Amino acid sequence: MLASFLQFVFSGITVGSIYALCGLGFSIIFNASHVINFAQGEFIMIGGMATVSLVALGVPLPVAILLAILATMLVGFALEKFAVEPARKASVTTLIIITIGASIFLRGIAQELWDKNFHKLPPFSGDQPFLIAGASLMPQSLWVIGVTVVVIVGLGWFFNRTLEGKAMLATSFNTLAAQLVGVNTKKVLLMSFGLSAMLGAIGGIVITPITFTNYETGIMLGLKGFSAAVLGGLGNGMGAVVGGLIVGIAEAMAAGYFSSAYKDAVAFIIILFVLFFMPSGLFGKSGTERV
Amino acid sequence: MTLLVVDNLSKEFGGVHAVEGLSFAINPGTIHSIIGPNGAGKTTLFNLITGIYKPTVGRILFQDQDVTAKPPYELAMRGMSRTFQNLQVFFNMSALENVMVGRHLHLNRGILTSLLRLPAIAKGDAACRDKAAELMRFVGLERFLDAQADSMPYGALKRLEIARALAAEPALLLLDEPAAGLNATESHEVDEVISKVAKQGVTVVLVEHNMKMVMGISDHILVLDYGKKLAEGTPEQVRNNPDVIAAYLGGGAA
Amino acid sequence: MFRNERMIGLAVLAVIIAILPQFLPNNYYYDVAIQAGFNAIVCVGLNLLIGYAGQISLGHAGFFGLGAYASAILCTRYGWPPILALLAGALVVGVLAFVLARPILKLKGHYLAMATLGIGIIISIVLNTEAQITGGPDGISAGPFSIGGYTIKTEQTWYWVVGGTLLVAIWLANNLVDSPVGRALRAVNGSEVGAEVVGVDTARYKVLVFVVSAVFASVAGSLFAHYLPQITPAKADFFKSIEFVTMVVFGGMASTFGSLVGAVFLSALPQVLTVFEDYEAMILGAIMMGTMIFMPRGLVPTLGSLLVRRRG
Repeated sequence: MLASFLQFVFSGITVGSIYALCGLGFSIIFNASHVINFAQGEFIMIGGMATVSLVALGVPLPVAILLAILATMLVGFALEKFAVEPARKASVTTLIIITIGASIFLRGIAQELWDKNFHKLPPFSGDQPFLIAGASLMPQSLWVIGVTVVVIVGLGWFFNRTLEGKAMLATSFNTLAAQLVGVNTKKVLLMSFGLSAMLGAIGGIVITPITFTNYETGIMLGLKGFSAAVLGGLGNGMGAVVGGLIVGIAEAMAAGYFSSAYKDAVAFIIILFVLFFMPSGLFGKSGTERV
Repeated sequence: MTLLVVDNLSKEFGGVHAVEGLSFAINPGTIHSIIGPNGAGKTTLFNLITGIYKPTVGRILFQDQDVTAKPPYELAMRGMSRTFQNLQVFFNMSALENVMVGRHLHLNRGILTSLLRLPAIAKGDAACRDKAAELMRFVGLERFLDAQADSMPYGALKRLEIARALAAEPALLLLDEPAAGLNATESHEVDEVISKVAKQGVTVVLVEHNMKMVMGISDHILVLDYGKKLAEGTPEQVRNNPDVIAAYLGGGAA
Repeated sequence: MFRNERMIGLAVLAVIIAILPQFLPNNYYYDVAIQAGFNAIVCVGLNLLIGYAGQISLGHAGFFGLGAYASAILCTRYGWPPILALLAGALVVGVLAFVLARPILKLKGHYLAMATLGIGIIISIVLNTEAQITGGPDGISAGPFSIGGYTIKTEQTWYWVVGGTLLVAIWLANNLVDSPVGRALRAVNGSEVGAEVVGVDTARYKVLVFVVSAVFASVAGSLFAHYLPQITPAKADFFKSIEFVTMVVFGGMASTFGSLVGAVFLSALPQVLTVFEDYEAMILGAIMMGTMIFMPRGLVPTLGSLLVRRRG
């Protein structure tokens, strides 16, 4: 009873961490540009797939991870530079289609560059599970959770302690005012895509030993990351993390106790309920319309 | 009989009282002005009266019925219409269509009749088009009969909003700074339009900064300061009120 | 656009539909034309929501799929006559859309996108999972469409049925746009407060157009189910929804004929792209990005204003 409950909590937190990273990626880009980047899931896929192929080429895992993150960030920069920036003044709908187009494009490349098969990475520190109250916790889950915590702390430091981070925050509060005090908001936009790509890649790499990866893994992960971000209130970093964990745990519980077929629906059912009753998410600000 | 009664109305935004304990009444068939320094709560008051904001405390009676916190479209059905300080023009439509939307309540709005374009729709629309064109001429926009709204200059858009509001045939018309941003000639034209509207029996309430215009056309003036009533009366009375003079010339004068 | 231009447009379209078969050498081309027609019917309805009323939906394939499955299930499992199944499907979808619309359409922008996307995905997961009713991932057959003893058998007949339905759909949509209701919808897009203060109950109109567009999708879905040998959940999934939205935006928002052009172009495109086989996804993605970057208003309005400028 307790053992299986705990088991579901473990797997919920593990996958929830990935949703949290992905949700953070959505929020960072949204704050910098009010764009929802539907290609966020592709960053996860590229991170995982690139690491897999580099390892297969004989590159040591730590180096492969680093290179894969850099490669994903380059894709993020390119996405901003060539797809989003030229359309800055377009409508919400147009921008949604552009980023969805980008995600289809990236999937198309991935399918050519690699293949349609599932690939895996070896766990970073073996596969000897820890037994806690009858539930087993894989060391890779600890990697996922640990890395996520480190990334979140690192982001907190970045946004509150560094000039670049503060510039990004300032831009999200008031773009014009940020420009007036000399923030290069174009650079902020570029950085936000790089940063989001980095988060996606990291998530994709640490989860690959558990879930495997192929050219299509980014779709659902991305959409659930989007629900996590909306659940927490778009643009709210901590909200995205909490949202990710809620979605992850609820999904694991639903799969365990109810039906694994409806696992993927859980995130969307939660988000509909929340939006029906709290139109700005759990922690979003609800502004009064000015006329 | 009074047309509009505002009774002990307050609106708070996160601890700040934009409007506080305000009471006044408006008689039909007159031009009322609401003046006051920036931030005095004039636009908030308009938004409360027209149902865009819900008051924290207080009541609003329109034609002797309690309409507090009713949605704007319902107030429109009861005969209230308005314009906005920040334009709320339908930029995705032509100027004429903007005014035609104003006729909404006077037209057949059945979904099936519309989908099938039954004769009632075609006939109603033709009449509506004529009426809208007539209103555009009335406010001096005959030059823009064929224009798209997004191609019109600011001054014309201000008048377009007046025409749209008039199209609804309101008993009470609220104009939020109709002359703001207009040059002297344009402002004079708007001034004339307002007088013409009032002559047709529509009660006009306006928020305006242009003192010359306010003093010239108002029958009655309400002065707000920090969300409260500072003074009320005819232009002559308000002009000579020491509190008003103090508020406008700076606190020290009192 | 003025009413007369719209009627002329409709007449021109009727002529094109009438003579197009002369240029369709075989059933393969008929199939492409028919599929384009189905997509166009959905897009004409969806454009009322997205283009005219300014409310996005990333879940309309869900309604398309529900219509299709309603027809398939009622006809094959319960032996209903197809036309009754089609109407029942439209009714169910209309009621569902009505119930969902009020809470959903309070949302704006990205939140609305998220909610509609969620609804679409939940519908497609249900269609995939409830295999004993829906046939699961393999899908279900709706059987041929027959009415009053007459059964549609050939691609040629389907072509005329779809062409006729499309003309009716466009006629209805144009009528709506040009009515007080349609102006109210466009006003909601232009400024919600501006519309409210002249008496437009904006919430009501948003619900109304959501229901109308969902019913358009449902009817197209029902016919589509009979046209295909087998209807599968893939026809109701997220990508199908995206495809519909892309067609509307690509053709040009707030332009009924734009939606038509978008639907036809993007339906035919994959057929052309099959030549490139493996690069199909890449090219499709690139086209989506490229057109939105260089023609954010869509094909028809962009070309339209080019023409006007040249004439002027």
